[in-house]
Amino acid sequence: MSNTPTGTVNADATQILGSGRAIIEMKNVDKLFGNFQALTNINMNVGEKEVVVVIGPSGSGKSTMIRCINRLEKHDRGEIIVDGITLSNDVRNIQEIRRETGMVFQSFNLFPHLTVLDNITLAPRQVRNIAKGEAEKTAMELLERVKIPEQARKFPGQLSGGQQQRVAIARSLAMNPKVILFDEPTSALDPEMIKEVLDTMKSLANEGMTMICVTHEMGFAREVADRVVFMADGQIVEVGTPEHFFDNPQEERTKLFLSQIL
Amino acid sequence: MADTVEAKESTTLAPLHSDTTPAKWVKDNLFNNVMNSIITVALGVLVVFLLVQSFGWIANEEWEIIRVNLRNFMVGQFPSDDLWRLWSSAFILIATFGIGTSAMAHNSHDDAIEKGLVTERSSLLDLLSRFWPILAFVALVVSFAQTWPPVLGVIAGVGAIAVTRFVGWALPAPIRSRAVPMMAIGTVVSLAVLAGTSGLVAMGAGVVALAIAASELSRRFEGSEPKSTAIRTGGPIIIGAATLFIFNAIGFDGYGWEDWGGLHLTLFATVVGIASGMPIGILLAIGRRSELPVIKGFCVVFIEFVRGVPLISLLLFSSFILPLLFPPSVETPETLTRAMIVIGLFSAAYIAEIIRGGLQAVPKGQTEAAQASGMSAAKIQRLIVMPQALRAVIPAMVGQFISLFKDTSLIATIGVAEFFQYVAISNSQPEFLGKGLQLVTYAFVAVGYWSFAYTMSKESRRLEKQLGVGVR
Repeated sequence: MSNTPTGTVNADATQILGSGRAIIEMKNVDKLFGNFQALTNINMNVGEKEVVVVIGPSGSGKSTMIRCINRLEKHDRGEIIVDGITLSNDVRNIQEIRRETGMVFQSFNLFPHLTVLDNITLAPRQVRNIAKGEAEKTAMELLERVKIPEQARKFPGQLSGGQQQRVAIARSLAMNPKVILFDEPTSALDPEMIKEVLDTMKSLANEGMTMICVTHEMGFAREVADRVVFMADGQIVEVGTPEHFFDNPQEERTKLFLSQIL
Repeated sequence: MADTVEAKESTTLAPLHSDTTPAKWVKDNLFNNVMNSIITVALGVLVVFLLVQSFGWIANEEWEIIRVNLRNFMVGQFPSDDLWRLWSSAFILIATFGIGTSAMAHNSHDDAIEKGLVTERSSLLDLLSRFWPILAFVALVVSFAQTWPPVLGVIAGVGAIAVTRFVGWALPAPIRSRAVPMMAIGTVVSLAVLAGTSGLVAMGAGVVALAIAASELSRRFEGSEPKSTAIRTGGPIIIGAATLFIFNAIGFDGYGWEDWGGLHLTLFATVVGIASGMPIGILLAIGRRSELPVIKGFCVVFIEFVRGVPLISLLLFSSFILPLLFPPSVETPETLTRAMIVIGLFSAAYIAEIIRGGLQAVPKGQTEAAQASGMSAAKIQRLIVMPQALRAVIPAMVGQFISLFKDTSLIATIGVAEFFQYVAISNSQPEFLGKGLQLVTYAFVAVGYWSFAYTMSKESRRLEKQLGVGVR
């Protein structure tokens, strides 16, 4: 950590690109793990149909930040508003937000005891009380969309990593969410499977899905992101369009990070 | 995939020892030179000598003690006039469970075909290979029978198993999908026939009727069968009530425990221990992981207390101390009832810890993925965490069941004559006293215990394979 440039400013990521309304608003959010401050004064808004890519060194709080949005982690200070609902300790409030927020995990987290089809239909049937037949019809459409309809009757353990992650994306889409949070979706994949997942995410972005992606895929960030958010040491250091961010970074910390990975 | 597994036979190598016959194997391995031949013969003689020394008594001993006491070993002092209750309850169980399990097998067979998996319908031979230890023991018991009714009863029972398998398979799909309620009804009716209309049976009928009604109602919300919900939910309740009414009207007296005994009681106690230990154990395991201090504290104290003392001390406490603690105005439950409660709670504590281990083995990501989709905590437990946890602990769980099955012999200490106790009882009868026939009776009882325990163990391995433990 000795080479960390000092004096990084706490950047503000509240300026939404385009004219859409904000789906996610984070105001002065702090998160502590015991004595360790994982997030410091996060200010970020995500607009409708916007794709925000969050990058930064490991341990910088990227995952913690998006896990705070659907309360997989509880933030300690500040305010988080998802689609007009302020996140509070009320269980119903939390579940309402989670229904509107899809999430895709690094380790897929498919349910190994259920078939692909059941993985996708479980939440719609259990949470939204959608009838089995209708839920399965929607699930098959989603599987077509991620290009693996033939795997519907298999179990997750029978699929490749890339296929599993595409099922996980279909599963999060099944709840028809307002926004999807991607937590390093390609980090656990073999290199040859990364592309199929990124392609799926790209087509989602092109269809106008609101997305926040924590990723190390700089090519993806450059190509798909509306805005790139760079985090280090629990703070947002720099925010900008991909062109601005990759070609003309302002902060020393950003330049150092980019020089190490590019 | 399909084109990668084509025609392989052209490259298949011949097996290395394709020409080995048993005779050739013996010649190659046991008599291949003079020294080995001598060793083989010497060891062979020794083995035969030891076998004759150890088990020669089987041919010589007096098996009369088993013949005379056969009914004691099986059902204890159950009155002859009421033996029809035992037979009827057994036949009701065979019929409903035979049809039910076979219907369920047909359902999962159809399921597998829908998923594109290759399955074969299990044959009667498979059933034989799964349950041969118990069948062998039943055959042994029948061979000791001195009258015809038990022999005919067993033959009819085996016949019924074969018939119900075909009946269950042939039922139409809507009835097959209700196999579990059917088996639940069978259990309650069988208990009602066995014990008459005691309050416990009435309660059981009510619970089962409500459970079936609830399951029918939930089908409606799943949207699979939208029609005639009223009949489907009201029906079971009416049938449950009618069953009770009929039993009341016919007037089977409440039939007590005092005369229960033998293998029948041993098996019953085991089933009670498993059937009540599982749900209570699941609740205790979840409670122990709770963040609410009162619930967690209660579960920890209960589990650690029960696990910390021997079963025998709990049984003695329930039998001798507990009645003194009841106020005179309250009627104390019967000894055997208290023993059943103790067995149920005892196995619950052990099962709880096994399940807790299983819960810890389910990755945190599973809960998080379910949470992220907005599912409630109860549904996450029921649909995501618990199925995976239970699957992971099948071997340990069945081990606990087997251990419980053998531990039920401890209820002999509170003056109940179960299967094992009849070793002592039969050997103290005047005509057998001092004849030294303990070995015979112990051997018979050991075969009985072993046949059931080994079958449980085999079934556990089958279940593991079927559910794919270790396959993620």
